[in-house]
Amino acid sequence: MGTILVLTAYLLYLLFCFRFLIRVLLWYKAVKQQAAIREAHVWSCRTVASTAIEVLFFTRLFHTNKLLWTASWTFHLSLGFIFLRHTWYFMNPVPELIIFIQPVGIAAGYVLPLSLLIILIIRIAGGRDSYVSSYNYFLLAALLIISLTGLVMRTYYQPDLIAVKDFITGILIFHPDALPGSVLFTLHFLFALLLLPFVPFHLFTAPIVIFEANRREEGLGMILHEK
Amino acid sequence: MKNKDPFGKELSIKQLMELDACTQCGECLKFCPVQEVTGRKEISPPEKIRMFRELMKSTRGLKKLFGRDVDTKLLQDFTNAVYECTVCGACGQSCPVGLFNQRLWPVLRNEVVKRGLGPVGAQRDMPQKVRDTGNPYNDPASQRFSPWFPENVKVAERAEIAYYAGCTGAYCAQPMVRGDVLVLGAIGEPFTMLPPEEEVCCGFPLFITGQFDMLKDLTKRLVDAYVAKGVKRLICSCPCCVNIMARDWPLFYGGALPFTIRHISQFVQDALKQKKLRFKKGLKERVIYHDPCYLSRGVGLIAEPRFILKNIPEIELLEFDQHGAESRCCGAGGAGRKVYHENAIAMGRLTINEAVEKKADKLVLSCPACYEKVNEAMVGHDKQIKIVDIMELVSELI
Repeated sequence: MGTILVLTAYLLYLLFCFRFLIRVLLWYKAVKQQAAIREAHVWSCRTVASTAIEVLFFTRLFHTNKLLWTASWTFHLSLGFIFLRHTWYFMNPVPELIIFIQPVGIAAGYVLPLSLLIILIIRIAGGRDSYVSSYNYFLLAALLIISLTGLVMRTYYQPDLIAVKDFITGILIFHPDALPGSVLFTLHFLFALLLLPFVPFHLFTAPIVIFEANRREEGLGMILHEK
Repeated sequence: MKNKDPFGKELSIKQLMELDACTQCGECLKFCPVQEVTGRKEISPPEKIRMFRELMKSTRGLKKLFGRDVDTKLLQDFTNAVYECTVCGACGQSCPVGLFNQRLWPVLRNEVVKRGLGPVGAQRDMPQKVRDTGNPYNDPASQRFSPWFPENVKVAERAEIAYYAGCTGAYCAQPMVRGDVLVLGAIGEPFTMLPPEEEVCCGFPLFITGQFDMLKDLTKRLVDAYVAKGVKRLICSCPCCVNIMARDWPLFYGGALPFTIRHISQFVQDALKQKKLRFKKGLKERVIYHDPCYLSRGVGLIAEPRFILKNIPEIELLEFDQHGAESRCCGAGGAGRKVYHENAIAMGRLTINEAVEKKADKLVLSCPACYEKVNEAMVGHDKQIKIVDIMELVSELI
């Protein structure tokens, strides 16, 4: 079982890299100057600052849907803390900062499934104006399973953490160790792996697109009002 | 181009990133006018992006390696969805990541055109009509100005200021362009115009339907013709023409234009400020101004029409709930007002209904396509309101 899981980990990681590589090639080969795409562009400290604020606080979403913003921002924030907390299992020695944020990461583990549930309810109950794709359902379901198994492990059935750390670091250094004897951990790890090739690319491109939107919007007034 | 050829070849790197950046949150559905009147999620903005992503996947990456064919039903569904859109850009305006959909949708339409599946309906003959008559309506060039041009306004042979009437104004919204010319005449600065056979389509209807082949040629013809008349400032009232002239002509022309582009409301605002134009009569009415999508969202022109209207003595200016950059499409956008007539009429009626509910005496428009379609939407509708173009109104009061 352990060997299969390790091989799956490498395979899915390769798939993720392949998907990323395809994207980079696509961007590289994209048309350089396109018909009808001239934009009045500006580059200023204000644009950079407003982009940073928008990326950190999802301000555009805040303007359109405050409830979804609350759930979505809480979800992303708690996911960020959970990721940071999980680096504990990848590093030796563990940096001071990671030790320091452990309590916040643990609290975030409780918040994450709640925020996911709220997002799911908003999507389902949205009626005429709501839109959910099967891909979004898959992401929500996978994240819910990962977060709930993580939460149950943390609260009730804690696996052997030393074995978990040896297993994870073993994969990273291509010297896999034995799979910890915990069904919950196996499920948790398997779903995290399954999610890897399906990581939504907006995580990488949305900040760039937001930056471009800010440049475009700041330049909008200059299209017809240039000196 | 065959269907198996990779999808996404016409997109820039920014647009490819925009496709990925769409989180499929569906927030744009609340602002999409087509959704408001049809409620069909299969033609919604995130669904269009999802379908195009699927088409890209099927012709690139692993699916291409394994020799999967393009799903023809998916391609047809995508074609229908991308053409039923009014390309008003409200989805991009409300987008939590700021997609630039006023430019993304036409390029996705171009992908469909390259495969011979688009455009749809009357849009298909546009390039031939523009080639034959200079306009997408196939009306004779001899009728471009003569039915509406006021006799008492003089047009200079050469001047630093030129006026471009535009095809939709000249053939479908004549009170609007007549108002433009009357106001220009009243301001008194000499202006020139191209002869009717030389004032050809600006390219916007071709661009918006994804038919990009003639755009460079049309731009060069028009720019060279205005340069030959010594023009330094080109004035136009059609938001779509102004949009493509200001945003895209420099690209087609191959550099900065030898003259500036101005919307007529900017010129009139300046004339009012400089006292070159005065209102001789007031208007004791409540008027409501509708922002055209390609003027407000498109080129950021929001304050000038309001400045003009507020300068009319005794007038009371009302606002739609969605106004300025957030304005709702009147239904005439995307060159689909004749193809998707029922949608366009339903959207036009939403505009009329809100204007009537706000107890406006007049609905003031500033776009020839809006003017034509909202007037059409009024026919047989239970709510009635007087529709007037902004320059038509100004010309009656000076």
